[in-house]
Amino acid sequence: MYYKFNGFTQRLVGAAASTAYNPQGLKPIVSTESPALVFGTTTKLASDLPATDSFLGKNQVPDLQKLFQSDSKADGLPVHLKRGVPDKLLYRTTMALTIGGTIYCLVALYMASQPRSQK
Amino acid sequence: MAHQAHSYHMVDPSPWPIFGAAAALLTTSGLIMWFHYSSTTLLTMGLLSMLLVMLQWWRDVIRESTFQGHHTPTVQKGLRYGMILFITSEAFFFLGFFWAFFHSSLAPTPELGGQWPPTGVKPLNPLEVPLLNTAILLASGVTVTWTHHSITEGNRKQAIHALTLTILLGFYFTALQAMEYHEASFSIADSVYGSTFFVATGFHGLHVIIGSSFLTVCLLRLIKFHFTPNHHFGFEAAAWYWHFVDIIWLFLYMSMYWWGS
Repeated sequence: MYYKFNGFTQRLVGAAASTAYNPQGLKPIVSTESPALVFGTTTKLASDLPATDSFLGKNQVPDLQKLFQSDSKADGLPVHLKRGVPDKLLYRTTMALTIGGTIYCLVALYMASQPRSQK
Repeated sequence: MAHQAHSYHMVDPSPWPIFGAAAALLTTSGLIMWFHYSSTTLLTMGLLSMLLVMLQWWRDVIRESTFQGHHTPTVQKGLRYGMILFITSEAFFFLGFFWAFFHSSLAPTPELGGQWPPTGVKPLNPLEVPLLNTAILLASGVTVTWTHHSITEGNRKQAIHALTLTILLGFYFTALQAMEYHEASFSIADSVYGSTFFVATGFHGLHVIIGSSFLTVCLLRLIKFHFTPNHHFGFEAAAWYWHFVDIIWLFLYMSMYWWGS
């Protein structure tokens, strides 16, 4: 019995010998290694694309990975505040809008429930 | 330093779920204030806060996956199930509108003149713009598949070109539909024909816009090197959604535009 990996169900399923011998058909081989599992340690580089240099910008993913991994930046900040000031501003704006809006909503619904409706 | 002994993702505490719920409250009560009291303040606040919550929540998912590496194969499997279930629920949503259409069109009442299309309603010619729209969405299905193959083969340039083409086709569809809506000789108020037609095609158009936005985010992430040939589930989810939108259109075209004319 030969087996192949079904990418959709993420399981091994039975396959013909020809499929097992040429799992990716006759196209050039692409690495089938899945990225290293992360259990609270820093990852290796996630990007293994061939170097196409500066076609629409440089690859900043490794730098951002360093920035967000709590080992090298043990600040205990949750992910939604990890970048500091811009995150805090957005968070506070959203909070003001939702909490303020909820209060306004309750007031408006209270007024709307009064007998003489206001247009 | 404590390391977890399992491959699941224990998420950091996040305010977005409750803010999202509040945003939904503001949006729905905003609709009420708009319909009954002609006031749009609450609705605007609701839509704005919904947008902010979506942006930040999904930004955080990208941070957790691409930058922090929390999306192990186990986590990814859960995300796949989630997306499939969501798309299934959307299919049921559209099923309701198709049910309404067939309920009214298979046995047209005397008020409609006992016929479908109803007396006096001049339907859109299915062989004109609607046929072009069908071709556009089918072509976009091809280009999104081309994008996927380019990503798995590590061909950055081609992937970007194909995905851009997909998004442009989506915008072209939306523009043509908007023009059709403007030019149609009937409106949503024109009996149950208008209701079923515009509600079903209208929700479909909204889903095309949502799908195009999803694909645009994927394009930005693709340009920023977020996807690898083996791990690009965000893109796969967008592609699944896009194929779903395409299939719904095919059903709409065959039933409402073609059979219903």
